Amino acid sequence: MTFLFFVIFSWFVVKAKTQRQVLALALAGTTAAVLVAPPRVQAQSSLVGAIQAVLNVINGIIHTGLTSINSVRTAINSLYQNVVWPVQLINLARQQVTQMIAQYRNLMWGILRINVASATLPPTQQLERVIRDQQTGDFALLTTSYGNAYGPVPVSTAASPPDRAMTDVDDAMALDTLKTLKKTDEAGTLALQAGDQLESGAGVAAPGSSPFLTATAVVASIQCQALTQKMLAADLRQEAARLAHESALLKRSTTYTGQVGDQIINLLKRN
Amino acid sequence: MKKALSMGFERCKCGLRWTWGHKLRVAVLALVLVMLAPRQVKSQLLDPCCAILVAGLTTISSTMSNVIGGGLNSILTVDRAIQNFEQTVVWPLAQVTQAHKLVNSTQSTFNMIQTVTRIPVNSATLPAPQQLEQILLSADANQIGQTSASYSVVYGPVPNVTAASQDVRNRIDMADAAAQAAMKRSIAIDNLANLEIQAANQINQSLQIAAPGSAPIIEAQADAWLVRANAYTQAAIADLMRVRAIDLADAGANIKSGATSTTNLGQELINLLKRR
Repeated sequence: MTFLFFVIFSWFVVKAKTQRQVLALALAGTTAAVLVAPPRVQAQSSLVGAIQAVLNVINGIIHTGLTSINSVRTAINSLYQNVVWPVQLINLARQQVTQMIAQYRNLMWGILRINVASATLPPTQQLERVIRDQQTGDFALLTTSYGNAYGPVPVSTAASPPDRAMTDVDDAMALDTLKTLKKTDEAGTLALQAGDQLESGAGVAAPGSSPFLTATAVVASIQCQALTQKMLAADLRQEAARLAHESALLKRSTTYTGQVGDQIINLLKRN
Repeated sequence: MKKALSMGFERCKCGLRWTWGHKLRVAVLALVLVMLAPRQVKSQLLDPCCAILVAGLTTISSTMSNVIGGGLNSILTVDRAIQNFEQTVVWPLAQVTQAHKLVNSTQSTFNMIQTVTRIPVNSATLPAPQQLEQILLSADANQIGQTSASYSVVYGPVPNVTAASQDVRNRIDMADAAAQAAMKRSIAIDNLANLEIQAANQINQSLQIAAPGSAPIIEAQADAWLVRANAYTQAAIADLMRVRAIDLADAGANIKSGATSTTNLGQELINLLKRR
């Protein structure tokens, strides 16, 4: 590049016609030469200064920065191991879970399983047994036992249609509730099993795996709430049927009163 | 040979003459040539600059090894300790896998609960009670609208104005209203409970593929559902309390009505005796 520039510049100088042109070329050439000339070699003193500056940066900003990062990481490590997740406290928590399982699980299971059956006569004993057996496969036996204890719906010749309908719906609501309770008893036993599983899992869990158990426990709580709601719905139906029964009796007594009044008036008219 | 030498000599003389005649141009060319000429290369052995440069670079290299390398090594050591602690104590893979298995296992328990809740409990034997019972146990909120008609078929309508006093009609209507509302609410609560069980199963299924970092989000959602479930339970209890309150009020009204009837009967008997 420099050689090409010098050749072209020489050609222009040789071909210049006047002294003024030569002077102009000289000015332009020296200016261009200054611009394209290689940079000057730095003085020794500025080289030493530059090296020292680099060393200052390394020993200053970088060293301080790395030391600070190391301090922070060490502090985080210490915080994790001593404050947030100290291993001895994690082990203590696991031991507590195991100890409480041993202390309470069988005791509470035993209390819940205490037999509270109290009937004394054969039909009622059978009914009591079937309504408390926490099984859902014997609904037919429940219906039979209920019929044995409370009697069947009167046949069409033995009672008026409204009476038959009311006894049938009363029996149905009572049986529905008893069946629902058998279902919720069985589901409650399953819920207790789920609770035991979760507690046993907590005894061997790590801090990072326990959110799974917590979330499943919450899900189990939702299931239990749903079961409670189903029991309440059955109770609502039963209470509603009882109120409806009383209301129907009132309606009937009103009808009977009217009929008795009419008959008395007819009787008095005849006399 | 001689001829060639003489020609060369003549050309040199000619060139020198041209140079002498154009001193300024030659001077300009010489100046620019000097300026553009390549600089002298400095020897690594003899130039003191290179020695200083070598010493400086060696010092920089040593400082970088000690200060930066040492610092980074310290950080690496601490980071490895943190990584080891997190992998063995906080989030050990074995425990996370075990938790996944436990969630799977509880899901099968939940499925059993759901199966139990679906067992039908219908018990009525006559057509009208059967129809009412079918609506009440439907767990389908869309059937709530059919409750009142079936209720009237089984329990009868409110007596008309000529058949009963206003007090009695009010009592009957209020009792029927509370009973029907409770029945309707029981259908709604059953429907809600089924939806809650369905949602709980969905949440538990998503938990089976969750990571330790995403499980708390699912837990938060489950917590929200639990809050909602508590509210539904409260709604059911509220309706149960309402129906019991109306039942109690009806029992009270029965006694009041009896007392009024007794007083009226006594007065009628006194009047009858006075006439005789």
